[in-house]
Amino acid sequence: RRRRRLRVFCQGQQAGPLGGPPARRGAAPWGSMAMNYNAKDEVDGGPQCPPGGPAKNRRPDNTAFKQQRLPAWQPILTAGTVLPTFFIIGLIFIPIGIGIFVTSNNIREIEIDYTGTDPSSPCNKCLSPNATPCYCTINFTLEQSFEGNVFMYYGLSNFYQNHRRYVKSRDDSQLNGDSSALLNPSKECEPYRRNEDKPIAPCGAIANSMFNDTLELFLVGNESYPTPIPLKKKGIAWWTDKNVKFRNPSGGESLKERFKGTTKPVNWVKPVYMLDSEPDNNGFINEDFIVWMRTAALPTFRKLYRLIERKSDLHPTLPAGRYYLNITYNYPVHSFDGRKRMILSTISWMGGKNPFLGIAYIAIGSISFLLGVVLLVINHKYRNSSNTADIT
Amino acid sequence: TLCMAYKHLTSKEYEEIDRRLFEARTALQQREEKLAHVFQFIEKDLILLGATAVEDRLQDRVRETIEALRMAGIKVWVLTGDKHETAVSVSLSCGHFHRTMNILELVNQKSDGECAEQLRQLARRIKEDHVIQHGLVVDGTSLSLALREHEKLFMEVCRNCSAVLCCRMAPLQKAKVIRLIKISPEKPITLAVGDGANDVSMIQEAHVGIGIMGKEGRQAARNSDYAIARFKFLSKLLFVHGHFYYIRIATLVQYFFYKNVCFITPQFLYQFYCLFSQQTLYDSVYLTLYNICFTSLPILIYSLLEQHIDPHVLQSKPTLYRDISKNRQLSIKTFLYWTILGFSHAFIFFFGSYFLIGKDISLLGNGQMFGNWTFGTLVFTVMVITVTVKMALETHFWTWINHLVTWGSIIFYFIFSLFYGGILWPFLGSQNMYFVFIQLLSSGSAWFAIILMVVTCLFLDIVKKVFDRQLHPTNTEKAQLTET
Repeated sequence: RRRRRLRVFCQGQQAGPLGGPPARRGAAPWGSMAMNYNAKDEVDGGPQCPPGGPAKNRRPDNTAFKQQRLPAWQPILTAGTVLPTFFIIGLIFIPIGIGIFVTSNNIREIEIDYTGTDPSSPCNKCLSPNATPCYCTINFTLEQSFEGNVFMYYGLSNFYQNHRRYVKSRDDSQLNGDSSALLNPSKECEPYRRNEDKPIAPCGAIANSMFNDTLELFLVGNESYPTPIPLKKKGIAWWTDKNVKFRNPSGGESLKERFKGTTKPVNWVKPVYMLDSEPDNNGFINEDFIVWMRTAALPTFRKLYRLIERKSDLHPTLPAGRYYLNITYNYPVHSFDGRKRMILSTISWMGGKNPFLGIAYIAIGSISFLLGVVLLVINHKYRNSSNTADIT
Repeated sequence: TLCMAYKHLTSKEYEEIDRRLFEARTALQQREEKLAHVFQFIEKDLILLGATAVEDRLQDRVRETIEALRMAGIKVWVLTGDKHETAVSVSLSCGHFHRTMNILELVNQKSDGECAEQLRQLARRIKEDHVIQHGLVVDGTSLSLALREHEKLFMEVCRNCSAVLCCRMAPLQKAKVIRLIKISPEKPITLAVGDGANDVSMIQEAHVGIGIMGKEGRQAARNSDYAIARFKFLSKLLFVHGHFYYIRIATLVQYFFYKNVCFITPQFLYQFYCLFSQQTLYDSVYLTLYNICFTSLPILIYSLLEQHIDPHVLQSKPTLYRDISKNRQLSIKTFLYWTILGFSHAFIFFFGSYFLIGKDISLLGNGQMFGNWTFGTLVFTVMVITVTVKMALETHFWTWINHLVTWGSIIFYFIFSLFYGGILWPFLGSQNMYFVFIQLLSSGSAWFAIILMVVTCLFLDIVKKVFDRQLHPTNTEKAQLTET
């Protein structure tokens, strides 16, 4: 290991690059000047060479880092360097935008609002029902057939799942199957924490307001005999949510035993262990429940309800024609001016139907290309003057 | 200055002189006059040998340094305790006064009225003659008279002179002059350079005090903000180190405000969509770590290492210093530019993500839905990438450390988010972010949106920079071009 050269600067030596003798700066600058003040130093202009070893050297090292001499790349954003980039961006973005736009246009989507605020709507009677549950049916027609997998969503409007008090009103340990949290839910769930002196499972406002309409779809075929469309209820929640984040509490044989000592949320009809007959879709791991618990970002949102799987390649999944939507109207939204709707949509690799991304790419690509052309013209015009200009 | 002369004395003459001296020295009355009389008797008919003088040489390259200071737009005043003739000749020799300058004098004023009259005269002369450059010489007594009653008039005269020389100045008067300049209407920044103990009050009074470690001891250096060993080092201190430091600090301040505007504005915009319930857009861990981990290192390294122009160019072209005079890079105009840029970026982040979701369409290939945390993470991801690449755009001096922290910050963000969302943390009450980031990254739409938003934001900035450089380049930008 190379020994660091200790430069000794005492009287009589050559001055270094900085000039005169280095800092034997008289100690603490402001206070204790008297302490190290040595009149002889002033006159001589430097410390005497001590007879023995080297003097203490406070000079910074002569390394590239400390003397700011590191090698560096020094790019400059001139028109020459940036022009090709603008053109490249234009040439790449516009085709991408067109591709995305075409993909989005090929997605089929239909929205059926079934809130029933309009007196002529079939679901109007369910706004103030005389008998619960209220059933209503909405007819609609598909102009074009839907190919491939079709996804059925329910959508709500003016429903602020992103309100702060609402978002934090849950207990993730309870939903993860933690037995202590099952019987003693978190304080965040207040006021939906205990009811009739028993802890609520699942606690919180999010669980309490779970969507409980039932939607069924029927195709009116050639024979005026409506065929039900098979709706698949598995695979609508995130895999990690269903298998890792949400777990039923462990314990007894049946699910009902495991939830012993808790009560259902206030607004629910059935307790959580009776959400579905199938055991792997019951309790906390019910997929509809999991989908509801993922709070939406905006007040107008939709959640995945059912999947309609594609049939063989010859037949479209949903052929064009007339359809019935049978609704078990349980969920009241009228009081807060909310709206409910059902959405049927096909999905591409980039998700649902939204022309925004495609249009944005085309727009940015064209602007970039245009500015590239403008810059080229300006560069050409000012090329001479900028070369001969001197620093005044 | 001394004259040397000699005379041969015979022993008789010597004894005569000796006797007279003895009488004069031992006289009881009027000793002084008698001695003077005898000295006059002795010092006659001498033969001149020559004259001696002491040369107090100017330091090396003082002339060039003062010339450079003047080219940089810095006004130079010389405050000295020497007498009038010495001071003027030193000024002429060191380049402070030119031979072509018209030297105005305010010296030997005996009374207040006289001083005022002289000042008015000088002001008139300056007004009459615009073409020629004026220099002013003031001495200590006249200065105290002028400052007592006629400050404004005196400052008026000084402002119109390109060089001012104050001679016969007492140490406290030097400080007084500096104070006077500091409180004048333009509020200039003052820098005092001195090397002796009599300069200490001046050094302490000025905004920046520089002491030269020299033959007159270390008092000045001890009391200064910066100590240098030679006067010529002032040019490197100001034009290289001072210039670098200013650019680094001004950009640091502006960038900090910019990145925090980018950070908080989407939070604010989100309130319009969540009933103003103060629901946060980003997870609390992201809120904490944004300024500490994800965006701190690039700007730190910039403010330590940035060199927008080569040091040799800076030192050889002092006029480049004018580009940062009057605190230009922290002016309202620059601040507004950065702030408006921050706001426009924040709007692009938020509304880009907002319109991407539209009426809440799915962004995944399997039709599943995102929630509010995924939305917030999308905005946050775009933001971290954009502010880091913006810093990259501002950097002119790319050392390996810059590469490491810039690209490393972005990579660290991704790795951290994957790690943070990868497991269920046992001690955390809420598991909001579990797997959110990975789900976001598995959406093709989200990736395209991220790229689009980053490009759009920086596009505006690049366009502005390039157009500015093409259409009206500053001296700094021209210097950057010439050296490549």
